[in-house]
Amino acid sequence: MFGACLVLVISTGLFFFYFQVACQRVLRRRFDREYFLAIVHANRLEFPVVRMTLEEYEAPVDYPRVRMTLKCDYLALTYLLKNAANVNQRYSRDERLLILYFNAISFYLVACHWLRRQEKPAILRLTAILQYFANVVGERVSTIRFGNLTASDYLLNL
Amino acid sequence: MRYLSVALQYGIYLLEAGLLAYLTVRRRFGGLVCLILYLSLLLAFDGVSRPYILYRYGYSSREYAYFYWLTDVLLTLGAFLLVCAFFRRACKYEQKMWHSIRLVLVFVLILTLAISLLALGRNYDQIRTVFIVEFQQNLYFTCLVLNTLLYILLQQIKSTDDELALLVCGLGIQFAGPAANLALARLTTGQGFASSLYGYVSPLCTLGMLLTWFYALVRAPQPSAILAGKEPAQELVAVATRDV
Repeated sequence: MFGACLVLVISTGLFFFYFQVACQRVLRRRFDREYFLAIVHANRLEFPVVRMTLEEYEAPVDYPRVRMTLKCDYLALTYLLKNAANVNQRYSRDERLLILYFNAISFYLVACHWLRRQEKPAILRLTAILQYFANVVGERVSTIRFGNLTASDYLLNL
Repeated sequence: MRYLSVALQYGIYLLEAGLLAYLTVRRRFGGLVCLILYLSLLLAFDGVSRPYILYRYGYSSREYAYFYWLTDVLLTLGAFLLVCAFFRRACKYEQKMWHSIRLVLVFVLILTLAISLLALGRNYDQIRTVFIVEFQQNLYFTCLVLNTLLYILLQQIKSTDDELALLVCGLGIQFAGPAANLALARLTTGQGFASSLYGYVSPLCTLGMLLTWFYALVRAPQPSAILAGKEPAQELVAVATRDV
């Protein structure tokens, strides 16, 4: 019984570890340029400000506000992922995986808050996922020509 | 729930066939021969033979139970060999290290094969009992430990092979899920909950592995492409530092 318990604990831990590593590898994808900036400006997304506040100023986390901000950005970006310059109007496999990862980390963030653990690493991971989504949307939009419109103009006219 | 199970199974067949077709059409044989062999074995057992036996003898038959578990053992041993092949690829520029690792791998492989054959031979009549649960749990866990050692090795040698790292992650998901579920089944012996959960966890983990591999092979940058992107001098330094 002790052996089975040990296998259960270690295997469960390693399952989540490998899942996380696979997601982090997807997030490491390099883009030609910083496509996310245009998307952030066009949609007034706030996740870069959240990340900068945490990384550079080391300000304390305003949990309710940060959570709401990230949730709003997530909803906007997942909508754009599905509908902006996407002929199939559905998520790709890696996007689905990252959506699952985002939800798992959000759950972890809530758990950290209730257990009074450090929330900063989880929030930084969430912003990294959102930046990836914004980069994907920006890259997609930039590959399609809309006359003389830029990516930002296109998104503002959606 | 039945529809979910069927959808999962057909999704897995499609991915297995799709990956095999992709590797064959793109002629990506270099360093991936073992992966192609493993995928062929998976498709032959999981996609062809098992549905045939199920159709012929029925779900609760003795024949299907034996065929399912024996092919599961073969697939796990095949995955074990695949991990060994990945070790070889990871040590491509570390010949000295490979010579020592090779000995350990051969020893572990012989030991695992011997224990598996002995245990299966002695308990062949008890395959439909808790014996097979314990046996497969131990086999999956052995592979998981070996796979994790490979992942640690990749971190130690600072490997730039993103494709290999993702392939290893995929295998990790495939080993960890069933190992945990089988351990849970052992701990809750007599209750159908963990056993019925296995019907979903195992295909879900296979799906996770195949999706990770698909991403690794289609999207992740190739090691040659990474080296090609460097200046000639940088490339030499990269190879030289690996040899040291």
